[in-house]
Amino acid sequence: MPPIPPQLQQIIDALTAAPPLESYLVVGAILFAIGAWGALVRRNAVVIFMCVELMINAVNLTLVAFADYLPNAGGLGVSYAVLVIAIAAAEIAVGLAIVLAVFRTRRTVNVDEITSMRG
Amino acid sequence: MTVAFAFLAGMTLVSALGVVLSRNVVHSALFMSGSFLGIAGYFVMLNAPALAAFQVLIYVGAVTVVILFGIMFTQRPQVRRYRTIINRQSWWGFFVAAGVGTFLAYVLANEDWGSTSAGNGPRDVAGFGRDLLGVSAGSGVFVLLFEVASVLLLVAIVAAIVVSRRKTGEGVDRGVRE
Repeated sequence: MPPIPPQLQQIIDALTAAPPLESYLVVGAILFAIGAWGALVRRNAVVIFMCVELMINAVNLTLVAFADYLPNAGGLGVSYAVLVIAIAAAEIAVGLAIVLAVFRTRRTVNVDEITSMRG
Repeated sequence: MTVAFAFLAGMTLVSALGVVLSRNVVHSALFMSGSFLGIAGYFVMLNAPALAAFQVLIYVGAVTVVILFGIMFTQRPQVRRYRTIINRQSWWGFFVAAGVGTFLAYVLANEDWGSTSAGNGPRDVAGFGRDLLGVSAGSGVFVLLFEVASVLLLVAIVAAIVVSRRKTGEGVDRGVRE
C-alpha cells in the first residue's frame, strides 16, 4: 500500500474526527425552533402534536449530547432521555384520545375553530 | 464521523421542515418518522445504541403508527393551498421561532462547557441498565423515576381508553350500530 500524502491524511483526519459538542447543540436548537414554528403556525391539531414531538426529540438530542461529552455527567442523561421518551409516549396517547373526542363532538380538528373556551 | 454528522443533520432538519410545510398530513407523519430516524442515528453516534433502539421502536414504530391512526380517524379530503393549513400568524410565528432558535443556538454555541470529550456515554447496555435501575453510583434517583414512569404509563393507557371511548347513545357514525 503506497503511503498516504500528508494533505490527504489531514483531510481524512478531519473527516473522521468526532464533531464538537456545539454542533450537536446547534442541530438540537434548530430542530427545536422548527418544531416551535410548526406548533405556532399550523392549524391541524394532529400536525401540532407532531411538531411537539419534534421539540421533545430536540431536547432529547441535547440531553444525550451532554451525557456523552461532559465527563462528569456519567452518561446519566441517556437514562433521563429514556424517561422523556416514556412520558412523550404517554402524552401522545392521551393527546390523540383528546383529539378524537373533540373531533367526535365538533367534527373538526382545526384549532382555529375550536373556540368554545374563549372568554 | 463528520460525513455521518452532516448527513444526519440534513436528514433530520429537512424532514422537520417537511413536517411543517407539507400540505398532506400523511406526508407530514412520514417526514416526522424520517426526522426521528435521523435522531436515532445521532444517538448511535453519541454512544447510546440502546437508546437508539428505543427511539426506533417507540418513535419510528409506535408513535408514527398512532399518529397515522389519528389521521385516519380525523382527516377530511386534502387541501391544496397553504392558506388553509397555516393560520394568520405565520410570519409572526416564523419570526418568533427564528428568534428562539437563533438565541438558543447562540447561547449553546458560545457557552464555555469546560473540558468536553466524546465517548463518555454508556456504550455497554449492561451499565446503561444499571443506571436506569438506580444500581450504579450516582443514579439512585432513577429507581424512583422508573417506578413513576411505569405508573404514568398505566394511567395514560386508562386515560386514553376513557377519553376516546364512545359514550352510549352519543351518536352512531358511519353506519356502525352499538
